[in-house]
Amino acid sequence: MPEENPPLRPLIPGITAQFPQDVTVLPRRKDMLAVLKVTPARVAEVAKYLRDVGSFEHCALVSGVDWVDHLEVLYHLWSDSLKGYIELTVDLPSEDPHVPSVTEIWRGANWHERETWDMLGVRFDGHPDLRRVLMPEGYQFHPLRKSFELHEPEELEVKARHV
Amino acid sequence: MTHGLWNLRIKVDGELIVDADPEIGYLHRGIEKICEYRRYNEVVTLMDRTCYVAGIAWEQLYIMAAEGALGLSPPARAEYIRVLSQELQRLSSHIMWYAAYVQDIGLMTPFLYGMRDRDLILDLFQSYTGARMTYEFMRVGGVRNDVPVGFTDRCRKVMDWLDQRIPEYEKVCDNSTIFLDRTKGIGILKAKECLNDGITGPMLRAAGVARDIRRDRPYSVYPELDFDIALYDEPDCYGRYRVRMEEMKQSVRIVRQVLDWLDRNPGPVLAEKVPRFVGTPSPPPGKETYVERRGYPKGRGFSSMEEPHGEAMAYIINEGAEHPYRAKLRSPVFVNIAASKDYLVGYRVSDIPAIMGSVDVCVGESDR
Repeated sequence: MPEENPPLRPLIPGITAQFPQDVTVLPRRKDMLAVLKVTPARVAEVAKYLRDVGSFEHCALVSGVDWVDHLEVLYHLWSDSLKGYIELTVDLPSEDPHVPSVTEIWRGANWHERETWDMLGVRFDGHPDLRRVLMPEGYQFHPLRKSFELHEPEELEVKARHV
Repeated sequence: MTHGLWNLRIKVDGELIVDADPEIGYLHRGIEKICEYRRYNEVVTLMDRTCYVAGIAWEQLYIMAAEGALGLSPPARAEYIRVLSQELQRLSSHIMWYAAYVQDIGLMTPFLYGMRDRDLILDLFQSYTGARMTYEFMRVGGVRNDVPVGFTDRCRKVMDWLDQRIPEYEKVCDNSTIFLDRTKGIGILKAKECLNDGITGPMLRAAGVARDIRRDRPYSVYPELDFDIALYDEPDCYGRYRVRMEEMKQSVRIVRQVLDWLDRNPGPVLAEKVPRFVGTPSPPPGKETYVERRGYPKGRGFSSMEEPHGEAMAYIINEGAEHPYRAKLRSPVFVNIAASKDYLVGYRVSDIPAIMGSVDVCVGESDR
Protein backbone atom coordinates (compact mmCIF):
# COMPACT_ATOMS: atom_id res chain seq x y z
CA MET A 1 0.00 0.00 0.00
CA PRO A 2 1.34 3.47 -0.83
CA GLU A 3 2.11 5.55 2.21
CA GLU A 4 -0.56 8.10 3.16
CA ASN A 5 0.30 11.77 3.29
CA PRO A 6 -1.81 13.87 5.71
CA PRO A 7 -2.03 17.18 3.78
CA LEU A 8 -3.15 15.36 0.65
CA ARG A 9 -5.70 13.07 2.36
CA PRO A 10 -8.82 14.65 0.83
CA LEU A 11 -7.22 15.15 -2.57
CA ILE A 12 -5.76 11.76 -3.42
CA PRO A 13 -8.96 9.70 -2.80
CA GLY A 14 -10.84 12.42 -4.69
CA ILE A 15 -8.62 12.15 -7.73
CA THR A 16 -8.62 8.35 -7.77
CA ALA A 17 -12.44 8.42 -7.50
CA GLN A 18 -12.67 10.95 -10.34
CA PHE A 19 -10.25 9.09 -12.63
CA PRO A 20 -10.37 5.44 -11.44
CA GLN A 21 -8.98 3.98 -14.68
CA ASP A 22 -6.37 6.61 -15.35
CA VAL A 23 -4.59 7.51 -12.11
CA THR A 24 -2.43 5.14 -10.06
CA VAL A 25 -0.86 6.27 -6.80
CA LEU A 26 2.80 5.22 -6.75
CA PRO A 27 4.88 4.76 -3.56
CA ARG A 28 5.69 8.13 -2.12
CA ARG A 29 9.26 9.50 -2.07
CA LYS A 30 10.29 11.75 0.77
CA ASP A 31 10.93 14.74 -1.51
CA MET A 32 7.41 14.67 -3.05
CA LEU A 33 3.92 15.07 -1.58
CA ALA A 34 2.76 12.31 -3.88
CA VAL A 35 3.72 10.54 -7.09
CA LEU A 36 0.86 9.79 -9.48
CA LYS A 37 1.01 7.75 -12.65
CA VAL A 38 -1.42 9.00 -15.26
CA THR A 39 -2.45 7.51 -18.59
CA PRO A 40 -1.41 9.75 -21.50
CA ALA A 41 -4.92 10.52 -22.77
CA ARG A 42 -6.17 12.09 -19.51
CA VAL A 43 -3.13 14.17 -18.50
CA ALA A 44 -4.73 17.52 -19.24
CA GLU A 45 -7.89 16.68 -17.30
CA VAL A 46 -5.94 15.41 -14.29
CA ALA A 47 -3.78 18.53 -14.40
CA LYS A 48 -6.83 20.78 -14.52
CA TYR A 49 -8.33 18.92 -11.57
CA LEU A 50 -5.11 19.33 -9.59
CA ARG A 51 -4.99 23.05 -10.33
CA ASP A 52 -8.64 23.80 -9.56
CA VAL A 53 -9.38 21.38 -6.73
CA GLY A 54 -5.90 20.66 -5.41
CA SER A 55 -4.59 24.26 -5.55
CA PHE A 56 -1.47 23.31 -7.50
CA GLU A 57 -1.24 26.72 -9.15
CA HIS A 58 2.39 26.58 -10.27
CA CYS A 59 3.61 24.22 -12.97
CA ALA A 60 7.26 24.15 -12.05
CA LEU A 61 8.66 21.71 -14.57
CA VAL A 62 7.74 19.47 -17.48
CA SER A 63 10.54 17.12 -18.45
CA GLY A 64 11.16 13.69 -19.84
CA VAL A 65 13.35 10.63 -19.58
CA ASP A 66 14.28 8.14 -22.30
CA TRP A 67 14.12 4.59 -20.91
CA VAL A 68 15.15 3.11 -24.29
CA ASP A 69 12.08 0.82 -24.48
CA HIS A 70 9.69 3.68 -23.62
CA LEU A 71 9.64 7.37 -22.74
CA GLU A 72 8.52 8.92 -19.49
CA VAL A 73 7.19 12.49 -19.22
CA LEU A 74 7.32 14.07 -15.78
CA TYR A 75 5.29 16.99 -14.43
CA HIS A 76 6.23 18.73 -11.21
CA LEU A 77 3.54 20.93 -9.73
CA TRP A 78 3.86 23.21 -6.72
CA SER A 79 1.17 24.26 -4.31
CA ASP A 80 1.56 27.41 -2.22
CA SER A 81 -0.92 26.21 0.40
CA LEU A 82 0.50 22.68 0.76
CA LYS A 83 4.11 23.91 0.40
CA GLY A 84 5.31 21.04 -1.67
CA TYR A 85 5.60 19.38 -5.05
CA ILE A 86 3.54 16.63 -6.61
CA GLU A 87 4.95 14.49 -9.39
CA LEU A 88 2.91 13.18 -12.31
CA THR A 89 4.51 10.57 -14.48
CA VAL A 90 3.28 9.46 -17.88
CA ASP A 91 4.63 6.51 -19.86
CA LEU A 92 4.72 6.91 -23.63
CA PRO A 93 5.89 4.66 -26.47
CA SER A 94 9.29 5.49 -27.97
CA GLU A 95 7.87 5.65 -31.48
CA ASP A 96 5.70 8.69 -32.20
CA PRO A 97 4.93 9.73 -28.60
CA HIS A 98 1.92 12.00 -28.12
CA VAL A 99 0.55 13.60 -24.97
CA PRO A 100 -2.01 16.42 -24.50
CA SER A 101 -0.50 19.83 -23.77
CA VAL A 102 -1.09 21.55 -20.43
CA THR A 103 -0.26 25.01 -21.78
CA GLU A 104 -3.96 25.93 -21.62
CA ILE A 105 -3.90 25.24 -17.88
CA TRP A 106 -0.58 26.87 -17.03
CA ARG A 107 0.96 29.23 -19.57
CA GLY A 108 4.27 28.61 -17.84
CA ALA A 109 4.37 25.08 -19.25
CA ASN A 110 4.79 26.46 -22.77
CA TRP A 111 8.57 26.49 -23.02
CA HIS A 112 9.02 23.39 -20.90
CA GLU A 113 6.94 21.46 -23.42
CA ARG A 114 8.85 23.01 -26.29
CA GLU A 115 12.08 21.90 -24.66
CA THR A 116 10.81 18.36 -24.09
CA TRP A 117 9.82 18.20 -27.78
CA ASP A 118 13.21 19.59 -28.75
CA MET A 119 15.24 17.24 -26.57
CA LEU A 120 13.18 14.02 -26.58
CA GLY A 121 10.79 14.31 -29.50
CA VAL A 122 7.56 14.15 -27.49
CA ARG A 123 4.62 15.73 -29.36
CA PHE A 124 2.37 17.85 -27.14
CA ASP A 125 -1.05 17.89 -28.81
CA GLY A 126 -2.79 21.25 -28.63
CA HIS A 127 0.37 23.23 -27.92
CA PRO A 128 0.03 26.66 -29.56
CA ASP A 129 3.59 26.92 -30.84
CA LEU A 130 5.55 23.67 -30.70
CA ARG A 131 8.87 24.80 -32.18
CA ARG A 132 12.34 23.83 -31.06
CA VAL A 133 13.68 26.14 -28.38
CA LEU A 134 17.35 25.34 -27.74
CA MET A 135 18.43 23.52 -30.90
CA PRO A 136 18.10 25.28 -34.27
CA GLU A 137 14.95 24.81 -36.32
CA GLY A 138 15.55 22.08 -38.90
CA TYR A 139 17.87 20.08 -36.64
CA GLN A 140 17.29 16.37 -37.23
CA PHE A 141 17.90 14.83 -33.83
CA HIS A 142 16.43 14.82 -30.36
CA PRO A 143 19.66 14.91 -28.39
CA LEU A 144 18.49 13.55 -25.03
CA ARG A 145 17.38 10.28 -26.60
CA LYS A 146 19.77 7.53 -25.55
CA SER A 147 20.21 6.60 -29.23
CA PHE A 148 21.99 9.96 -29.68
CA GLU A 149 25.52 8.93 -28.79
CA LEU A 150 27.91 11.46 -27.40
CA HIS A 151 31.43 10.77 -28.51
CA GLU A 152 34.01 10.91 -25.80
CA PRO A 153 37.01 13.12 -26.55
CA GLU A 154 39.48 10.21 -26.61
CA GLU A 155 37.46 8.38 -29.28
CA LEU A 156 37.47 11.49 -31.43
CA GLU A 157 41.23 11.80 -30.99
CA VAL A 158 41.77 8.20 -32.11
CA LYS A 159 39.65 8.77 -35.19
CA ALA A 160 41.50 11.94 -36.03
CA ARG A 161 44.83 10.12 -35.86
CA HIS A 162 43.74 7.55 -38.45
CA VAL A 163 42.53 10.15 -40.94
CA MET B 1 22.48 40.08 -16.17
CA THR B 2 23.65 39.18 -19.65
CA HIS B 3 23.63 41.15 -22.85
CA GLY B 4 24.01 39.98 -26.40
CA LEU B 5 23.63 36.23 -26.00
CA TRP B 6 19.99 35.99 -26.88
CA ASN B 7 17.55 37.45 -29.34
CA LEU B 8 14.30 39.27 -28.73
CA ARG B 9 12.10 39.62 -31.79
CA ILE B 10 9.47 42.28 -31.32
CA LYS B 11 6.63 43.55 -33.45
CA VAL B 12 6.07 47.27 -33.12
CA ASP B 13 3.37 49.75 -33.99
CA GLY B 14 5.40 52.94 -34.11
CA GLU B 15 7.17 52.93 -30.75
CA LEU B 16 4.62 50.65 -29.13
CA ILE B 17 5.44 46.94 -28.65
CA VAL B 18 2.57 44.74 -29.85
CA ASP B 19 4.20 41.32 -29.82
CA ALA B 20 7.40 39.75 -28.53
CA ASP B 21 9.09 36.44 -29.30
CA PRO B 22 12.27 35.71 -27.39
CA GLU B 23 14.71 33.33 -29.00
CA ILE B 24 17.35 31.51 -26.97
CA GLY B 25 19.71 28.60 -27.48
CA TYR B 26 22.81 30.45 -28.66
CA LEU B 27 24.65 29.38 -25.52
CA HIS B 28 23.29 25.82 -25.43
CA ARG B 29 26.13 23.49 -24.50
CA GLY B 30 24.11 20.34 -23.86
CA ILE B 31 24.98 20.24 -20.17
CA GLU B 32 22.15 17.80 -19.38
CA LYS B 33 23.47 15.40 -22.00
CA ILE B 34 27.10 15.72 -20.93
CA CYS B 35 26.03 14.96 -17.33
CA GLU B 36 25.00 11.46 -18.47
CA TYR B 37 28.61 10.80 -19.45
CA ARG B 38 30.32 12.19 -16.34
CA ARG B 39 30.82 10.68 -12.90
CA TYR B 40 28.91 12.31 -10.07
CA ASN B 41 31.70 14.54 -8.83
CA GLU B 42 32.82 15.44 -12.34
CA VAL B 43 29.43 17.00 -13.02
CA VAL B 44 30.20 19.72 -10.45
CA THR B 45 32.54 21.32 -12.99
CA LEU B 46 29.66 21.64 -15.44
CA MET B 47 27.38 23.17 -12.84
CA ASP B 48 29.69 26.16 -12.36
CA ARG B 49 29.40 26.87 -16.06
CA THR B 50 25.62 26.54 -16.02
CA CYS B 51 25.24 29.92 -14.40
CA TYR B 52 28.45 31.85 -14.35
CA VAL B 53 27.27 34.56 -11.96
CA ALA B 54 25.82 32.11 -9.44
CA GLY B 55 27.94 29.00 -9.94
CA ILE B 56 27.93 27.81 -6.38
CA ALA B 57 24.12 27.93 -6.20
CA TRP B 58 23.95 25.46 -9.07
CA GLU B 59 26.64 23.30 -7.50
CA GLN B 60 24.54 22.93 -4.40
CA LEU B 61 21.36 22.37 -6.38
CA TYR B 62 22.96 19.49 -8.24
CA ILE B 63 24.69 18.10 -5.16
CA MET B 64 21.44 18.01 -3.17
CA ALA B 65 19.69 16.08 -5.93
CA ALA B 66 22.65 13.74 -6.40
CA GLU B 67 22.81 13.06 -2.67
CA GLY B 68 19.11 12.26 -2.74
CA ALA B 69 19.65 9.83 -5.61
CA LEU B 70 22.62 8.15 -3.90
CA GLY B 71 21.19 8.24 -0.36
CA LEU B 72 24.02 10.24 1.24
CA SER B 73 23.97 13.08 3.75
CA PRO B 74 26.71 15.60 4.51
CA PRO B 75 27.98 16.60 7.99
CA ALA B 76 26.49 19.69 9.66
CA ARG B 77 29.53 21.90 9.16
CA ALA B 78 29.45 21.23 5.44
CA GLU B 79 25.80 22.32 5.35
CA TYR B 80 26.69 25.60 7.06
CA ILE B 81 29.56 26.26 4.69
CA ARG B 82 27.18 25.57 1.80
CA VAL B 83 24.63 28.05 3.11
CA LEU B 84 27.39 30.60 3.65
CA SER B 85 28.43 30.13 0.02
CA GLN B 86 24.81 30.44 -1.11
CA GLU B 87 24.29 33.75 0.57
CA LEU B 88 27.65 35.21 -0.48
CA GLN B 89 26.74 34.15 -4.00
CA ARG B 90 23.34 35.79 -3.75
CA LEU B 91 25.05 38.99 -2.64
CA SER B 92 27.56 38.93 -5.47
CA SER B 93 24.89 38.06 -8.04
CA HIS B 94 22.56 40.84 -6.90
CA ILE B 95 25.41 43.36 -6.78
CA MET B 96 26.39 42.35 -10.30
CA TRP B 97 22.78 42.83 -11.36
CA TYR B 98 22.64 46.22 -9.68
CA ALA B 99 25.85 47.38 -11.31
CA ALA B 100 24.86 46.36 -14.82
CA TYR B 101 21.19 47.28 -14.58
CA VAL B 102 21.56 50.78 -13.26
CA GLN B 103 24.24 51.49 -15.82
CA ASP B 104 21.88 50.33 -18.58
CA ILE B 105 19.34 52.82 -17.35
CA GLY B 106 21.80 55.71 -17.51
CA LEU B 107 23.67 56.04 -14.22
CA MET B 108 27.42 55.47 -14.19
CA THR B 109 28.45 55.57 -10.52
CA PRO B 110 26.56 52.42 -9.43
CA PHE B 111 28.50 50.34 -11.91
CA LEU B 112 31.79 51.36 -10.33
CA TYR B 113 30.43 50.92 -6.80
CA GLY B 114 28.97 47.55 -7.61
CA MET B 115 32.01 46.10 -9.35
CA ARG B 116 34.29 47.21 -6.53
CA ASP B 117 32.16 45.70 -3.77
CA ARG B 118 31.52 42.50 -5.70
CA ASP B 119 35.27 42.01 -5.87
CA LEU B 120 35.42 41.94 -2.07
CA ILE B 121 33.02 38.98 -2.08
CA LEU B 122 34.93 37.26 -4.86
CA ASP B 123 38.08 37.70 -2.76
CA LEU B 124 36.34 35.81 0.02
CA PHE B 125 35.40 33.04 -2.38
CA GLN B 126 38.93 32.88 -3.63
CA SER B 127 40.28 32.53 -0.10
CA TYR B 128 38.39 29.28 0.55
CA THR B 129 37.62 27.78 -2.86
CA GLY B 130 40.65 28.97 -4.77
CA ALA B 131 38.58 30.48 -7.57
CA ARG B 132 36.57 33.61 -8.19
CA MET B 133 33.81 32.36 -10.49
CA THR B 134 34.07 28.65 -11.27
CA TYR B 135 34.60 27.17 -7.84
CA GLU B 136 34.27 23.36 -8.13
CA PHE B 137 33.97 23.43 -4.38
CA MET B 138 31.12 21.14 -3.43
CA ARG B 139 31.32 17.38 -3.38
CA VAL B 140 28.74 14.64 -3.14
CA GLY B 141 28.71 14.17 0.64
CA GLY B 142 30.07 17.54 1.74
CA VAL B 143 32.41 20.26 0.56
CA ARG B 144 35.99 20.03 -0.63
CA ASN B 145 37.71 21.83 2.23
CA ASP B 146 37.06 23.87 5.35
CA VAL B 147 37.33 27.66 5.45
CA PRO B 148 40.87 28.89 6.24
CA VAL B 149 42.03 30.30 9.58
CA GLY B 150 40.86 33.87 10.08
CA PHE B 151 38.21 33.61 7.37
CA THR B 152 35.25 34.38 9.59
CA ASP B 153 36.75 37.67 10.77
CA ARG B 154 37.60 38.73 7.23
CA CYS B 155 34.09 37.85 6.12
CA ARG B 156 32.58 39.85 9.01
CA LYS B 157 34.57 42.89 7.91
CA VAL B 158 33.14 42.61 4.39
CA MET B 159 29.64 42.28 5.83
CA ASP B 160 30.16 45.42 7.95
CA TRP B 161 31.29 47.22 4.82
CA LEU B 162 28.25 46.04 2.84
CA ASP B 163 25.98 47.16 5.67
CA GLN B 164 27.09 50.70 4.94
CA ARG B 165 27.17 50.30 1.17
CA ILE B 166 23.70 48.86 0.50
CA PRO B 167 21.87 51.96 1.85
CA GLU B 168 24.19 54.03 -0.30
CA TYR B 169 23.27 51.98 -3.39
CA GLU B 170 19.65 52.73 -2.64
CA LYS B 171 20.31 56.42 -2.15
CA VAL B 172 21.97 56.71 -5.56
CA CYS B 173 18.90 55.22 -7.23
CA ASP B 174 16.10 56.66 -5.16
CA ASN B 175 17.43 60.21 -5.52
CA SER B 176 17.77 59.92 -9.28
CA THR B 177 14.79 61.12 -11.30
CA ILE B 178 16.14 59.28 -14.36
CA PHE B 179 16.11 55.99 -12.50
CA LEU B 180 12.64 56.50 -11.05
CA ASP B 181 11.15 57.64 -14.36
CA ARG B 182 12.53 54.64 -16.19
CA THR B 183 11.53 51.99 -13.64
CA LYS B 184 8.29 53.06 -11.92
CA GLY B 185 5.15 51.70 -13.57
CA ILE B 186 7.17 49.94 -16.29
CA GLY B 187 7.05 46.21 -17.04
CA ILE B 188 4.08 45.46 -14.82
CA LEU B 189 3.14 41.81 -14.38
CA LYS B 190 0.50 41.24 -11.70
CA ALA B 191 0.58 38.37 -9.21
CA LYS B 192 -2.11 36.29 -10.95
CA GLU B 193 -0.29 36.50 -14.28
CA CYS B 194 3.03 35.70 -12.61
CA LEU B 195 1.59 32.51 -11.12
CA ASN B 196 0.07 31.45 -14.42
CA ASP B 197 3.34 32.12 -16.23
CA GLY B 198 5.34 30.14 -13.69
CA ILE B 199 7.46 33.16 -12.80
CA THR B 200 9.53 32.84 -9.63
CA GLY B 201 12.13 34.72 -7.63
CA PRO B 202 12.37 38.48 -7.14
CA MET B 203 9.86 39.09 -9.96
CA LEU B 204 7.20 37.11 -8.14
CA ARG B 205 7.97 38.60 -4.75
CA ALA B 206 7.78 42.11 -6.20
CA ALA B 207 4.19 41.24 -7.11
CA GLY B 208 3.50 40.53 -3.44
CA VAL B 209 3.51 36.71 -3.48
CA ALA B 210 5.53 35.51 -0.48
CA ARG B 211 7.01 32.40 -2.04
CA ASP B 212 10.60 31.71 -1.09
CA ILE B 213 11.77 28.09 -1.25
CA ARG B 214 14.20 28.76 1.59
CA ARG B 215 11.19 29.31 3.85
CA ASP B 216 8.42 27.27 2.20
CA ARG B 217 10.28 24.03 1.57
CA PRO B 218 13.42 24.48 3.65
CA TYR B 219 16.57 22.73 2.55
CA SER B 220 20.02 22.46 4.12
CA VAL B 221 20.11 24.42 7.42
CA TYR B 222 17.79 27.29 6.49
CA PRO B 223 15.19 26.29 9.14
CA GLU B 224 17.73 27.16 11.85
CA LEU B 225 18.46 30.61 10.47
CA ASP B 226 16.54 33.79 11.05
CA PHE B 227 15.62 35.90 8.02
CA ASP B 228 12.66 37.63 6.38
CA ILE B 229 11.26 37.20 2.90
CA ALA B 230 11.80 40.33 0.82
CA LEU B 231 8.44 41.51 -0.49
CA TYR B 232 7.11 44.51 -2.35
CA ASP B 233 3.65 45.34 -3.63
CA GLU B 234 4.48 47.09 -6.92
CA PRO B 235 4.95 44.49 -9.68
CA ASP B 236 7.11 46.77 -11.85
CA CYS B 237 10.83 47.26 -12.47
CA TYR B 238 11.14 49.44 -9.41
CA GLY B 239 9.55 46.76 -7.21
CA ARG B 240 12.03 44.16 -8.47
CA TYR B 241 14.87 46.51 -7.62
CA ARG B 242 13.49 47.02 -4.09
CA VAL B 243 13.13 43.26 -3.56
CA ARG B 244 16.73 42.60 -4.58
CA MET B 245 18.02 45.37 -2.30
CA GLU B 246 16.08 43.92 0.64
CA GLU B 247 17.31 40.42 -0.19
CA MET B 248 20.90 41.62 0.01
CA LYS B 249 20.28 42.96 3.52
CA GLN B 250 18.73 39.64 4.53
CA SER B 251 21.69 37.76 3.05
CA VAL B 252 24.09 39.81 5.16
CA ARG B 253 21.99 38.85 8.16
CA ILE B 254 22.14 35.14 7.31
CA VAL B 255 25.90 35.25 6.65
CA ARG B 256 26.50 36.73 10.12
CA GLN B 257 24.53 33.93 11.80
CA VAL B 258 26.39 31.27 9.83
CA LEU B 259 29.77 32.80 10.70
CA ASP B 260 28.90 32.69 14.41
CA TRP B 261 27.94 29.03 14.09
CA LEU B 262 31.15 28.18 12.21
CA ASP B 263 33.23 29.79 14.96
CA ARG B 264 31.59 27.65 17.64
CA ASN B 265 31.39 24.29 15.85
CA PRO B 266 34.51 22.77 14.33
CA GLY B 267 34.14 19.40 12.67
CA PRO B 268 34.49 17.38 9.48
CA VAL B 269 33.25 18.81 6.19
CA LEU B 270 33.02 15.62 4.11
CA ALA B 271 30.98 12.53 4.94
CA GLU B 272 33.06 9.49 5.81
CA LYS B 273 31.37 6.88 3.67
CA VAL B 274 31.46 8.45 0.22
CA PRO B 275 31.87 6.28 -2.85
CA ARG B 276 34.99 7.55 -4.53
CA PHE B 277 33.70 7.04 -8.07
CA VAL B 278 37.08 6.34 -9.53
CA GLY B 279 38.07 3.43 -11.70
CA THR B 280 37.70 2.27 -15.28
CA PRO B 281 36.05 4.59 -17.79
CA SER B 282 32.29 4.28 -17.77
CA PRO B 283 30.50 2.25 -20.45
CA PRO B 284 27.46 3.86 -22.10
CA PRO B 285 24.50 4.43 -19.74
CA GLY B 286 21.76 1.84 -19.43
CA LYS B 287 23.93 -1.29 -19.69
CA GLU B 288 22.52 -3.90 -17.25
CA THR B 289 25.67 -5.91 -16.57
CA TYR B 290 27.53 -2.81 -15.53
CA VAL B 291 24.72 -1.70 -13.23
CA GLU B 292 24.69 -5.02 -11.40
CA ARG B 293 28.43 -5.20 -11.07
CA ARG B 294 28.69 -1.84 -9.30
CA GLY B 295 25.54 -2.11 -7.24
CA TYR B 296 25.12 1.46 -6.04
CA PRO B 297 21.58 1.97 -4.79
CA LYS B 298 19.13 2.97 -7.51
CA GLY B 299 17.09 6.04 -6.85
CA ARG B 300 15.74 9.38 -7.91
CA GLY B 301 16.90 12.61 -6.38
CA PHE B 302 15.02 15.86 -6.51
CA SER B 303 16.02 19.24 -5.18
CA SER B 304 14.66 22.71 -5.47
CA MET B 305 16.18 25.86 -4.12
CA GLU B 306 15.94 29.63 -4.14
CA GLU B 307 18.67 30.62 -6.53
CA PRO B 308 19.40 34.38 -6.92
CA HIS B 309 17.15 34.43 -10.02
CA GLY B 310 14.31 32.32 -8.67
CA GLU B 311 13.25 28.74 -8.16
CA ALA B 312 15.79 26.29 -9.57
CA MET B 313 15.23 22.54 -9.61
CA ALA B 314 17.33 19.50 -10.33
CA TYR B 315 16.10 15.99 -10.97
CA ILE B 316 18.68 13.21 -11.02
CA ILE B 317 17.95 9.59 -11.85
CA ASN B 318 20.54 7.11 -10.64
CA GLU B 319 20.39 3.69 -12.24
CA GLY B 320 23.25 2.26 -10.22
CA ALA B 321 26.06 3.43 -12.45
CA GLU B 322 28.83 5.89 -11.65
CA HIS B 323 27.14 8.61 -13.63
CA PRO B 324 23.60 9.97 -13.61
CA TYR B 325 21.17 8.23 -15.96
CA ARG B 326 19.35 11.50 -16.44
CA ALA B 327 19.98 14.96 -15.04
CA LYS B 328 17.30 17.57 -15.56
CA LEU B 329 17.78 21.18 -14.51
CA ARG B 330 15.06 23.77 -14.22
CA SER B 331 16.28 27.27 -14.78
CA PRO B 332 14.15 30.11 -13.40
CA VAL B 333 15.46 32.47 -16.09
CA PHE B 334 14.25 30.12 -18.85
CA VAL B 335 10.68 30.51 -17.62
CA ASN B 336 10.97 34.22 -16.85
CA ILE B 337 12.17 34.96 -20.40
CA ALA B 338 9.46 32.73 -21.86
CA ALA B 339 6.82 35.02 -20.39
CA SER B 340 8.41 38.20 -21.72
CA LYS B 341 5.53 38.83 -24.11
CA ASP B 342 3.24 39.32 -21.13
CA TYR B 343 5.28 42.10 -19.57
CA LEU B 344 6.61 43.80 -22.74
CA VAL B 345 3.44 44.31 -24.77
CA GLY B 346 2.06 47.80 -24.28
CA TYR B 347 5.38 49.45 -23.45
CA ARG B 348 7.75 51.41 -25.69
CA VAL B 349 10.85 50.19 -27.48
CA SER B 350 13.02 52.37 -25.25
CA ASP B 351 11.63 50.55 -22.17
CA ILE B 352 13.08 47.19 -23.26
CA PRO B 353 16.49 47.60 -21.55
CA ALA B 354 14.80 48.62 -18.31
CA ILE B 355 12.25 45.78 -18.41
CA MET B 356 14.49 42.94 -19.56
CA GLY B 357 17.23 44.13 -17.21
CA SER B 358 14.84 43.89 -14.27
CA VAL B 359 14.32 40.18 -15.07
CA ASP B 360 18.03 39.54 -14.40
CA VAL B 361 18.70 37.38 -17.43
CA CYS B 362 21.54 34.89 -17.18
CA VAL B 363 21.67 33.12 -20.54
CA GLY B 364 24.11 30.53 -19.25
CA GLU B 365 21.45 28.97 -17.11
CA SER B 366 18.50 29.43 -19.44
CA ASP B 367 20.29 27.68 -22.32
CA ARG B 368 22.30 25.19 -20.23
